[in-house]
Amino acid sequence: MAEASLTAEQRQRYARHLALAEIGPAGQRRLLRSSVLIVGVGALGSPVALYLAAAGVGTIGLADHDHVRLSNLQRQVIHSMAGLNRSKVDGAARTVGALNPDVKVDAIEATVDEHNAMELLQRYDVIVDGTDTFHARYLLSDAAYLLRKPLVHGSIFRIEGQVTVFVPGRGCYRCLYPEPPPAGAIEESEQAGVLATLPGIIGTIQAAETIKQITRAGDPLVNRVLLHDTMAMTFREVRYRRNPACPTCGDRPSITSLADSHAVVGADEGRR
Amino acid sequence: MTAERHHRQRILAEVGEEGQRRLARASVAIVGVGGLGSPVALYLAAAGVGRLGLIDDQRVEASNLNRQVAYEECDIGRAKVEAAAGRLLLLDPALRVDARQENVRASNVAELFSEYDLVVDGTDAFETKFLLNDAAVLVGKPLVYGAVLQWGGQVTTIVPGGPCLRCLFSEPPDPDSVLTCEQAGIIGAATGVVGSVQAEEALKVLLGVGMLLSGRIFQHDGLRGETRVTVFPKDPDCPACSPRARITDLQRYAEQVSPRGHVLT
Repeated sequence: MAEASLTAEQRQRYARHLALAEIGPAGQRRLLRSSVLIVGVGALGSPVALYLAAAGVGTIGLADHDHVRLSNLQRQVIHSMAGLNRSKVDGAARTVGALNPDVKVDAIEATVDEHNAMELLQRYDVIVDGTDTFHARYLLSDAAYLLRKPLVHGSIFRIEGQVTVFVPGRGCYRCLYPEPPPAGAIEESEQAGVLATLPGIIGTIQAAETIKQITRAGDPLVNRVLLHDTMAMTFREVRYRRNPACPTCGDRPSITSLADSHAVVGADEGRR
Repeated sequence: MTAERHHRQRILAEVGEEGQRRLARASVAIVGVGGLGSPVALYLAAAGVGRLGLIDDQRVEASNLNRQVAYEECDIGRAKVEAAAGRLLLLDPALRVDARQENVRASNVAELFSEYDLVVDGTDAFETKFLLNDAAVLVGKPLVYGAVLQWGGQVTTIVPGGPCLRCLFSEPPDPDSVLTCEQAGIIGAATGVVGSVQAEEALKVLLGVGMLLSGRIFQHDGLRGETRVTVFPKDPDCPACSPRARITDLQRYAEQVSPRGHVLT
């Protein structure tokens, strides 16, 4: 009865999920009905999109304004030489479609900014941050909170990465980092090196956390941030709480629209 | 190898020009190109490892596609090593790939280790995992062990002179006591986490940088969102790597170890 709405092909494809107590047929149907927006289809977005597509997330929005460059292929494994100099979202949409035709892909070739973020994010159940600038991280965090959507955050820098989940009312990116670093304090991402495997580790944990948000399985990485150091090969968990004085999700918020968010972030803070 | 492709790694102090050249000259055997082997192969190819050996005798099945992201739906029925090789060459046409559609056994494992600088364990059977461990100890080559089930898994790196898998678990578990991936289920993202950690360890071994998971085990429980790295010592009575080892010769492996990898007395 419970499996009746899965086709024979789907029962084969998702057999390993159906065997899991925390997913099963009901969880798989929930995945197939769900929608996830991945903002940034680069180093982090590549594994997130691959593993969410493999898991059978029904609708995946891919948002990125960039084109595939040769230097991306050192870590952005959803892309290939066939997509060189072409739009990242088109290349990634092709890979996702070939992996799993169950998935409907929205290829959004655009920068997510204060003008379109609310309209874009409101169409999806869960938002995944695969961006690489502080500006974008604050913007996504504010927009996700204003829309009361869960945001699966990940970021990498050189040999270190971090991942956490922001659930509305239990803390946001501004609670974790009240201020961006001063401009110039952090190298431009193009000037910073990155080890190929680091985004793989962070992005696949983001994918797992997204699946947990959709299926409500397990204990999410909420109020705790997992920090990974590649060279020491350590994983450290740091707890944080919602900041009552947070301008976005605090008791007396001053950011009530993305126009406020833009004013608070500032137009030219450091990129990362 | 073009300079631009690996630019972001060449400017990393831990890699640099010399490190990138080292990777280009290096060779890695990936035994098992499934849930773990997929991310290992993709990330080692992307990182610029010059030559990859893919060893697997299976064909792609529909039930692989919830986690084995090196494949596409149209690969169903194809030999995994051929399909994966094709995918890797789309990522980097300069990569050398050996597609070896075979199984690893006591009779061919020494030759396999001799052909590559490092071996990554992407298998799903304990007897094969213990065989790879025993071969790594006897041949004196590094091995990155990984295992995954349901929502999590583990990784440790075996280097010559360091603790081995049998220091941690002297014998493989009784086959009747362990659930297979088919029975227990598995989440693709968990294989992605474990495989990416294995790939990271492989890069560090090849580059000679950072602290390896030698004498340490990475354990990940994705359901609880818990990740730990725990230290473990060399076992002075280890059947594989101690002076009192009873596994001493791969040519006599069948006499020394049961078909299930248990040490015979």
